[in-house]
Amino acid sequence: MTLETSPEVESRVVDKQLALVSVEDVTKHFPIGAGLLGGGSAVRAVDGVSFEVRAGETLGLVGESGCGKSTLGRVIAQLHPATSGKVIFQGQDLVPMRGEKLRRMRQELQMIFQDPYASLNPRMTVGEIIGEPLKNFGLARGKERSNRVHEVMRTCGLNPNFLNRYPHEFSGGQRQRIGIARALVLNPTFIVADEPISALDVSIQAQIVNLMEDLQNRFKLTYLFIAHDLSVVRHLSDRVAVMYLGKIMEIADSHSIYENPLHPYTKALLSSIPIPDPDLEAKRQPILLQGEIPSPVNPPSGCRFHTRCPIAQFPICSEQVPPLESKVDGHLAACHFAGQL
Amino acid sequence: MATAPSDYVFQDEFTADSTYEVGEAVSLWKDAWRRLTSNYFALFGLAVIVLLLLVAIVSQFWTPYPTWKQGIGPTYGGPSAAHPFGLDQVGRDILSRLMGGAAIALAVGLGTALLSSVIGIALGLLAGFYRGWVDTMISLLINVWYGIPDLLVVMLFVVIINSRELKWIIVAISITAWLNMARLVRGQTLALREREFVEAARSIGTRDVGLLTRHILPNALGPIIVQATYLIPAAILFEAFLSFLGLGAPPPEPSWGAMCAEGYKSLQLAAHVTLVPAFALAITLIALNAFGDGLRDALDPRMRR
Amino acid sequence: MAPLLQVEDLKTHFHLRDGVVKAVDGITFHVDKGETVGIVGESGSGKSITSLSIMRLVPEPGRIVHGRILFGANGQPKDVVKMTDEEIRDFRGSDVSMIFQDPMTSLNPVLRIGFQVREAMSAHDRFSDEQSKSRVVPLLKKVRIPGAADRTKAFPHQFSGGMRQRVMIAMGLSNEPSLLIADEPTTALDVTVQAQIIELLRDLNREMGTAIILITHNLAVVASICTRVIVMYAGRIVEEGYTRDIFKNPQHPYTWSLLRSMPRLDAARHSKLLTISGLPPDMSNPPPGCKFHPRCRFRVDRCLEEEPPLGEVGPNQFARCWVLMRNALVTQPEKAAAAEVPIPPLTAEPAQIDQRSEPDRPGAVKA
Ligand SMILES: Nc1ncnc2c1ncn2[C@@H]1O[C@H](COP(=O)(O)OP(=O)(O)OP(=O)(O)O)[C@@H](O)[C@H]1O
Ligand SMILES: Nc1ncnc2c1ncn2[C@@H]1O[C@H](COP(=O)(O)OP(=O)(O)O)[C@@H](O)[C@H]1O
Ligand code: SF4
Ligand code: SF4
Ligand SMILES: [Mg+2]
Ligand SMILES: [Mg+2]
Repeated sequence: MTLETSPEVESRVVDKQLALVSVEDVTKHFPIGAGLLGGGSAVRAVDGVSFEVRAGETLGLVGESGCGKSTLGRVIAQLHPATSGKVIFQGQDLVPMRGEKLRRMRQELQMIFQDPYASLNPRMTVGEIIGEPLKNFGLARGKERSNRVHEVMRTCGLNPNFLNRYPHEFSGGQRQRIGIARALVLNPTFIVADEPISALDVSIQAQIVNLMEDLQNRFKLTYLFIAHDLSVVRHLSDRVAVMYLGKIMEIADSHSIYENPLHPYTKALLSSIPIPDPDLEAKRQPILLQGEIPSPVNPPSGCRFHTRCPIAQFPICSEQVPPLESKVDGHLAACHFAGQL
Repeated sequence: MATAPSDYVFQDEFTADSTYEVGEAVSLWKDAWRRLTSNYFALFGLAVIVLLLLVAIVSQFWTPYPTWKQGIGPTYGGPSAAHPFGLDQVGRDILSRLMGGAAIALAVGLGTALLSSVIGIALGLLAGFYRGWVDTMISLLINVWYGIPDLLVVMLFVVIINSRELKWIIVAISITAWLNMARLVRGQTLALREREFVEAARSIGTRDVGLLTRHILPNALGPIIVQATYLIPAAILFEAFLSFLGLGAPPPEPSWGAMCAEGYKSLQLAAHVTLVPAFALAITLIALNAFGDGLRDALDPRMRR
Repeated sequence: MAPLLQVEDLKTHFHLRDGVVKAVDGITFHVDKGETVGIVGESGSGKSITSLSIMRLVPEPGRIVHGRILFGANGQPKDVVKMTDEEIRDFRGSDVSMIFQDPMTSLNPVLRIGFQVREAMSAHDRFSDEQSKSRVVPLLKKVRIPGAADRTKAFPHQFSGGMRQRVMIAMGLSNEPSLLIADEPTTALDVTVQAQIIELLRDLNREMGTAIILITHNLAVVASICTRVIVMYAGRIVEEGYTRDIFKNPQHPYTWSLLRSMPRLDAARHSKLLTISGLPPDMSNPPPGCKFHPRCRFRVDRCLEEEPPLGEVGPNQFARCWVLMRNALVTQPEKAAAAEVPIPPLTAEPAQIDQRSEPDRPGAVKA
């Protein structure tokens, strides 16, 4: 498969030095079937993940369904407490934070949700939904608040006349705009976007992608953009992290991930994506992985990918956990045989 | 080709016509009302309830004869033009007492439904939202309370308070009637707190009070209203039963249950003294249950078409 | 040779309390023996109702109100719309079978996999009970269920999503139908599993010569396996033709815009995507004239009043548009520039057209 590249237009300043968010060895386990004596097992949804998000960039997070992307996003946004590890945001560890202090912190750190139908309260009007963050922090009152809500609605491409309508009166794309407006109204610095376009119609997805890009340029936002669709991630991201069964398999800047994937999983993932071009499709040779993602309750030993990996070598791959380490400058991969597929 | 927008453009140069975009919106409540009004049994229920309400209000200002006045006509007098439902064992006008009884029934029904809903909703919300030990305590209370017979609780309460005033009867019934509401609200809350919009509200810094009052409670309102409409007939029946046992509103209050109990002794002699209030009670209960069922179906999104 | 399936001016409408939803409104297309045809369109465009109409499985209160669905390549094709209940039962599953988006809801959770596959055969009398029994394992092998022989006793919940979809395909193929309709078969699956299922469908089409109608909203999936594409919008076919022509030289503004609004794996980063503004129409109250006009950048006055017919715009390519992209991009260059995308070649080279008339269909069965 050959991918053409064209010169990239850098429209934003990404501060390569400053890590806005650093995630350090975060795990999140959901206990299941725990009896009275506690002897249950756990879903190891996120299992020892470390990376950083730099100020002003978009970090794409991709992986198959159930690999722990949303859980990681929610742990970073402090919607699930982490089982262990640190989430350092603007120099402070968010994990031990509780109560009012954490609530104050949320001003800076917002989330956009996957399902535009489930993430809006059906009993509140659009105006109430977008105004609620302001109310929570006592930021603007009365006329001032409604002005701010109008402004944000306009920014997100919503007609402010719809202020008093209920979410069910809107289409999926418009609802997603409402969700974005709600996240934006507090002027946050960091936004976790959990598959914001997966639930939308094809003709609507581009509207939201463009909106998110424009907002980033305009307000200097930093995104953690979660998706299972690698095409969208390529379009939006400066760097990409690939996740498999609760662990990061590879992380590098977008260009190297797509042009020179080192991890066999990334490679297989990229090759399974169809391209809307019959000529390229005729040439594409997908690397077909065997079977499906194993259960996160009992992840495979050693390298978690060894049950499906086309180049696994035994016993090393089933015994030793490959560390996520730099292979070529700044390109991290967790594989004993990186770059050999 | 891509150029960074120098200034933000609101949308593409091309904007679609919005004329055909958003379809006619049908709100859940409007839709529910439509379905309720196409259910004739529920409509009959609603009509009876409205009639009852009117009668109850009128009875506060006017009844054909005072409800307590004895010896208006012949004892056990049968129905006549002056006394359409006849007279009772001490010669009181049954129609007048029936009207007064409607007010008592409604006061007991609505009062109990309101009070026990408040208790049940509050405890249910707390248990479902905070889970953990709060839930354990409240669930334990509910289960223990279930084990104690309602009648026992009410009798003890009446004895301790040493008053049979209507408001105390309402309180007494309420403290036995909140259990189902608490269970329902707890279940709803447990489910709703996991919904994404509640999570979203948390992420924008909403405090617990806001989560409970703005996000969880309004979304559980449908089932709560349905449950509350079932509480009304249950409370009316319970009060009638208490009156029948002589524990309800004290004489000469024209409680339907008391009227049945008083007439019961002379059932063979003058059946109308018992049958008239019994019939009123039955109609009321049927109407309220029919309305409750209709409301439940109307608010069930699965019945939406 | 007569086509395997010929749908003529099919209209399927839903009569609701507040009006008529014309879910499918006059579509005509055909599927040849052994062909793979893709139907694309966004949700609500009528893809599923089209396929359910072919199976005569339209849900209440929907009804086929007009048109013919002729099935059968040799001899006399039969009109599915006019079939008796007896005939339709025989037709479903044995001549045409259908697989759905969610493999879990279409399998019975309390019956064993092997039994369900056998049931699919015993409903028809193509195979005796003995034969059916012996065909179960080979069928499961054919759809590449690992350890097929040992897994016939498993229950659906013990299978993963991809394996359930494979079982559905095995059941669909159990009576060797000549047409398989797959309605969004990979939408609920992961990309890696999607690649496996697509590969499987492609191979089955090649090996068994089963014609496939693949319904999807993902244009890229269509590009990878279909020989012809039908693009639907608001209950109509807006463009139809060989895959290559549709992707390289789309003539309808909707197809053209859709292709440019998708982020592509092989495209540059941060290139601005073309957006199709607005929303798909509310089907109970569609706009007059061309159904796409409220969202179309290339519209002219005529579009607002009169609906264009589906006209031939090239060899074997049809589009429903007054303007057509090749004209739009010439006469309205400023609009094309506003779209911020390179203008595609205006017309295909004549040599290419010749090639197209005899396409290399992977699964074509030479009769
Ligand atoms: N509240 C929970 N309790 C138990 N297990 C959970 C919970 N939330 C998630 N999980 C499990 O954790 C794992 C990761 O889930 P997560 O939602 O993060 O996946 P994902 O990568 O976002 O997938 P998708 O692409 O489908 O959204 C899954 O196995 C899931 O079943
Ligand atoms: N059971 C139904 N009742 C009423 N309208 C329906 C029903 N099923 C589908 N429709 C309508 O028919 C149109 C086409 O639906 P469908 O074929 O399912 O679309 P898709 O292209 O997503 O498969 C839509 O407008 C839809 O709302
Ligand atoms: S460590 Fe081994 S099993 Fe894991 S990805 Fe590398 S080669 Fe494959
Ligand atoms: S007919 Fe007119 S409105 Fe419709 S697609 Fe063609 S140019 Fe656009
Ligand atoms: Mg997710
Ligand atoms: Mg469909």
